[in-house]
Amino acid sequence: MSVPDLSVEIAGLHLRNPVMPASGCFGFGREYARFYPLNQLGAVVTKAVTLEPRLGNPTPRVAEAGGGMLNAIGLANPGVRHVAAVELPWLAKQGVPVIVNAAGQTKDEYVEVVRIISASGLANAVELNVSCPNVKAGGISFGVSPQVLEDLVCSVRKVCSLPLFVKLSPNVTDIRQIALAAQAGGADGLTLINTLIGMQIDIRRRRPVLANKTGGLSGPAVKPVAVRMVYEVTQVVGIPVIGMGGIYSGEDAVEFIMAGASAVMVGTANFTDPFACPRIIAEIAQFMQEHGIGSLAEIRGCIA
Amino acid sequence: MLLTVTDTARIAHGIWQLTLTGTFPYDTVQPGQFLMIRIGAGLEHVLRRPVSIAAVTEDSLAIVFRVVGKGTQWLSERKAGDGLDVLGPLGTGFPLPPAKARVLIVGGGIGAPPLYFLAERVQPLSDRLDVALGFQTQADSFWVDRFAVLGNLKLATDDGSLGLKGTVIDAVESLAADGLKWDYVYACGPIPMLKVVKQCFASQEVQGYVSLEERMACGVGACYGCVCQTGGGSGTRRVCADGPVFDWNGVVL
Repeated sequence: MSVPDLSVEIAGLHLRNPVMPASGCFGFGREYARFYPLNQLGAVVTKAVTLEPRLGNPTPRVAEAGGGMLNAIGLANPGVRHVAAVELPWLAKQGVPVIVNAAGQTKDEYVEVVRIISASGLANAVELNVSCPNVKAGGISFGVSPQVLEDLVCSVRKVCSLPLFVKLSPNVTDIRQIALAAQAGGADGLTLINTLIGMQIDIRRRRPVLANKTGGLSGPAVKPVAVRMVYEVTQVVGIPVIGMGGIYSGEDAVEFIMAGASAVMVGTANFTDPFACPRIIAEIAQFMQEHGIGSLAEIRGCIA
Repeated sequence: MLLTVTDTARIAHGIWQLTLTGTFPYDTVQPGQFLMIRIGAGLEHVLRRPVSIAAVTEDSLAIVFRVVGKGTQWLSERKAGDGLDVLGPLGTGFPLPPAKARVLIVGGGIGAPPLYFLAERVQPLSDRLDVALGFQTQADSFWVDRFAVLGNLKLATDDGSLGLKGTVIDAVESLAADGLKWDYVYACGPIPMLKVVKQCFASQEVQGYVSLEERMACGVGACYGCVCQTGGGSGTRRVCADGPVFDWNGVVL
């Protein structure tokens, strides 16, 4: 049969394939451009960007946890103005759509960060990281309350002329309610799941392994949770979903697509194998070829 | 890239040496650079382990590491003929001194291996090479003979079972007490040790470099997992990409 079509149209973006690195696992792309041309990817997703530069948390910031890893980087980034002036012009020349992950501690900060990214003309979409603590609400994350999230997305929407994705936290009671709130606020698409909050203790030293005590769990260990949440969310929303959580192979990616995802993000796997993304793209094509699948639309949500 | 283990040896208490061969840019490796080594074939271990390069020939390299957990335990169980998935050489290594410089190399425990490779490169350049190494006990020491061939070696152990009774700082002070002066000082070991080494030379015109260790995820500068603070504490540098070797005046120890 002919070469399968891996392209996807998602919230107005045309991606040549459904695979992109997950925010935070790929910097601003420069480090992985040493390994392969970034235009092999469906898109590049940047590290989270805040209004002001952030140094991040004390170290240790990362730790392995059976079949996964914990991280508490603390949104270290050079600030949105530096990113717009230095990183995005470079990324814009790589021949691949660029999705900028935006974060903040207040609604006003999110709005300003997204306004600058949108106005830069150098990004193709925005991904809103709503797992950050809301400093005006006692540090509770924006992404755990449907009302707070809808209001945030609504405010950001007004200054964002680009496709707007909202990245959902899995650390909630019912992710469907959160997903519906993001949709109601005007999101063009959803990405999920962000990391699950975890903790690991060094029993010989009798203290947490991470300096921050807790951190986000990612990697193969979270995959079944992520597949379940992608399935639940795509059952109730009308906007496209990009799935992620422990994707290490083309077969893992196909699993998310069958659960209902339109595309996938690959995070931790980049650390295990810097060539993970191009390998997964090739493996998806191989799976489609072997199973007579002509396009991803044929299998998207096919289990439902 | 896939390298093949050609030789393995337990060279001290909990310390292992592996010799690796295969296609690798051996001629480009700088002393102080490291490998990120994949642990296991499955997905239990998702993070590679950073291990410094201890010696290089034209067709092989040696790594020396301490078993500290499951990952390094797995690494120590490799046998000759096994394949090893490595990424490297990574990071920014030690800048070599100018010709005729007087050089001191200071290593604490498992900080010593990258310094051996450095000493090999420094020895033909320098007018004088002194090496101070500290280990917990003689049973923890390794590569002492190899270092001794390259320079004037002063050893210290906590219990006095090898060399001076004391720390590597006592070894440095003993060398200094002989009236020795250095232009370049290179150190690798635990942070408290590096801090004291730097303090020892605070009042002298010395160019100092330290190699730092930190838990890493990507190993290539993308994840910001392994950072240290810059001199004024106003910024951070990535240990894996900007380091692991830094001018000791440029980072907070």
